Amino acid sequence: MAGLPQVGPSTLRQLAALGPPDQTWSRLCAGQVPLGVVPRHATGPEALRQAWERAAAQVDPSGHWSRLRELGIGVTSLGCPGYPVSLVDDPEAPVVMFHQGDPSLLEGTCVAIVGTRRPTGYGRRIAHQLGSALAAEGISVVSGLALGIDAAAHAGAVGAGAAPIAVVGAGLDAPCPQANRPLARRIAATGLICSEVPVGVRAAPWRFPVRNRIVAAFARVVVVVESAVTGGSMSTVEHALQRSRTVLAVPGPIDAGTSAGTNRLIADGAGLCTGVGDVLASLGRSPSTAGVPSEVRRRSHPEGLAGVLLGLLGWRPETPDYLVHASGAGLREVIVALDWLTRHGWVTQQGGFVERLPVAPAPMAP
Amino acid sequence: MLATVTSAVLIGIDGHRVGVEVHVSAGLPSFTLVGLPDASCREARDRVRAAVLSSSFTFPPNRITVNLAPTNLKKTGPVLDVAVALAILAASDQLDPHLLQGAAFLGELGLDGRVRPVRGALPLAEVLNGGPLVVPTGNVGEVRLVAPEVRAAVTLRQLVDSIRGDSPWPDVDDQPATECCAGPPPDLAEVHGHPLGRLAMEVAAAGGHHTLMVGPPGAGKTMLAERLPGLLPDLAESEALEVARVHSAAGRSERHGGLPRRPPYRSPHHTASVVALIGGGSNQLRPGEISLASSGVLFLDELGEFPASHLDALRQPLESGRVEVVRAAVSASLPARFLLVGATNPCPCGWAPDVRCRCSPAQLARYARRMSGPLLDRFDLRLHLDPPDPSTLFAGPAGAESTASVRQRVLAARLRARHRGVSANRSLRGSALEQHAPLEPGAADLLRDRVDRGLLSVRGTMRLRAVALTLADLEGRDGPVTVDDVLLAECLRAHDVLPGTTA
Repeated sequence: MAGLPQVGPSTLRQLAALGPPDQTWSRLCAGQVPLGVVPRHATGPEALRQAWERAAAQVDPSGHWSRLRELGIGVTSLGCPGYPVSLVDDPEAPVVMFHQGDPSLLEGTCVAIVGTRRPTGYGRRIAHQLGSALAAEGISVVSGLALGIDAAAHAGAVGAGAAPIAVVGAGLDAPCPQANRPLARRIAATGLICSEVPVGVRAAPWRFPVRNRIVAAFARVVVVVESAVTGGSMSTVEHALQRSRTVLAVPGPIDAGTSAGTNRLIADGAGLCTGVGDVLASLGRSPSTAGVPSEVRRRSHPEGLAGVLLGLLGWRPETPDYLVHASGAGLREVIVALDWLTRHGWVTQQGGFVERLPVAPAPMAP
Repeated sequence: MLATVTSAVLIGIDGHRVGVEVHVSAGLPSFTLVGLPDASCREARDRVRAAVLSSSFTFPPNRITVNLAPTNLKKTGPVLDVAVALAILAASDQLDPHLLQGAAFLGELGLDGRVRPVRGALPLAEVLNGGPLVVPTGNVGEVRLVAPEVRAAVTLRQLVDSIRGDSPWPDVDDQPATECCAGPPPDLAEVHGHPLGRLAMEVAAAGGHHTLMVGPPGAGKTMLAERLPGLLPDLAESEALEVARVHSAAGRSERHGGLPRRPPYRSPHHTASVVALIGGGSNQLRPGEISLASSGVLFLDELGEFPASHLDALRQPLESGRVEVVRAAVSASLPARFLLVGATNPCPCGWAPDVRCRCSPAQLARYARRMSGPLLDRFDLRLHLDPPDPSTLFAGPAGAESTASVRQRVLAARLRARHRGVSANRSLRGSALEQHAPLEPGAADLLRDRVDRGLLSVRGTMRLRAVALTLADLEGRDGPVTVDDVLLAECLRAHDVLPGTTA
């Protein structure tokens, strides 16, 4: 039923309320659903009801079941045993949940890490660090397996401790963008991927904000790493606030568009997240001392040209051209100094840009 | 009666000698042209008839058969008009056939008997060298480069009179056309800021390294590329002749008298067809842009807008320096030793990786995919250009080095390359590179570190060494390549300069 055209969570809930699923299905196939549950759509309710009838005629429910079993996908629906506890009382609880992996993870403590699909190096790094630190604390990281912050958080969490949970907006046979497929396989192997969308349904833009309510429902705390003032992360925040979840935001440079949303959240009263400790504190726990890479390694500022260059680098990538112009030094000297800074972990160079690293250098990604 | 006149036709950039045989015999008046003429060549019948009549000769009212030998060679274009007309006159007793013996004639005829210039006169003249040669006045300048004794034809009437000895051969203006048509080339001194971009142009000119510039609109990519030809050394004699030959074959000889001295600069629009870029056409096999840019610079602006298939067609000529254009009936080998400079935006909107960029990751990846890995690999220099800091724009002209002074260093570096037996360091491969670009121990460690970390391929290491060697050459330094050279070369060869490739 969930795979029919124009069926979102609320329509599906109305359909489910009509009676036992098998009866509703046969009414669908016969084109006899009451027009009251058919959503108002441009093509008119009658046309859509016929579209449902046609689509339903082509679906073979038992074949669908065997396909799910082949893919190792489990199904629970509202009211069944095994349905996630955190969703039972949800105002917009999904009628059906498909999942792949270990559903018992949802019983543990979950923290969502969300953010823009187009992060800066800073956001990517923070998401990765938070993901791995939380996992090391035994906390499952919930995110949407999208590009950017989601992927960075999941990548940090995979293999670092507690297994991550991904809530996706497409059918579980193709849960995420192509670039994240390897990550999705690793999460399915150790953690949990779930979706309210049946197998075979492709991602559509409207499904992502809808999916975000489940992310918010699963998590006790939602951490926004980088976000513009509008966007998917902000919809997660709204859902989280409706469900009285704690929202933390990671601050960023005030002139970076990618941090405008998070800085606004902090101004509006969201909690400040400056490290994994803040997240744990909001969960009412204190950080275990082991394995939290947040201690600052003190070291002296480099001298000479390297120090000058470091002073010129703000928190956004710059080109060597800019450094030559601003420092007044020769190109050759600047390049040599930049190499020194790179080797000593002060800066990173990528794609013709130089970006400053935080004072405590992140452990090199394997 | 039979008469034969020698002429030539063009395939690619090579002339092929053609004998024009005309037989005039009794019979119903007719005019047949045989020997694989194409449409424009067959039209010679009508042009020749009108030109002969306009020049107050008689067009024989007999059966005329024209054969173009060898018959298996496709003949294209109007270049044989004059030869056909002369052969008809000789075969109809209006001109002594002995006067035509050993001589060769090129030219298109107008209906009024005027002789018009033809495309590719220079390579045609080369194949006809040996006997007296008569070409249209408009072609005398270029033909004189290979055949100083060339004679000019203005009209068919004058041509016949001169052949008979009734009037002298016309003098052709010998003064070289004024050089100035284009004005002075743009100077590097006008470029503010861009230390990396300037260095890249210098290195590209000195080492012949292909260069890719990536940057937002208005960063100065085109401005830098336009100044690259000015840095290149003058053409050597043999190169100049080849440039003249290619440009003549393409019908682009603009200069009269004297070889081209400066390397050519071509910047085709991204809507150019594959044939326009590579060369071809069904019968004539015209040289394409890559041949016109041979010995010079081929600048492909908006590289990302070129269809991927066009760009990949460049790969093989980039390696070999020649392009073999083959069609069912004909083939031609055209020179293609060009220095490729590409400029592109980093993404469709132009601003990546800045926050102003509004492209989705999928869009970035699609944009980056247009340039295949193998093609990207052929760019020795890959750099990101940002618009210079506004303060440099108004700093005045002080400080910026001029083209002339940079060219001094380029010339010195090219001289070093020539001592190594190559025209530029780009051509150094494998063992030659080992021999001529030894590494300082530190530099070797640095490269090994990059290879170990998977940042450099073996091929990439070699290209990096060649660029580092060019950098050392530009400093006028002998001895091993230093760590600084390698670091600078690495900076000029950013390996993930297109944002989509890293997503």
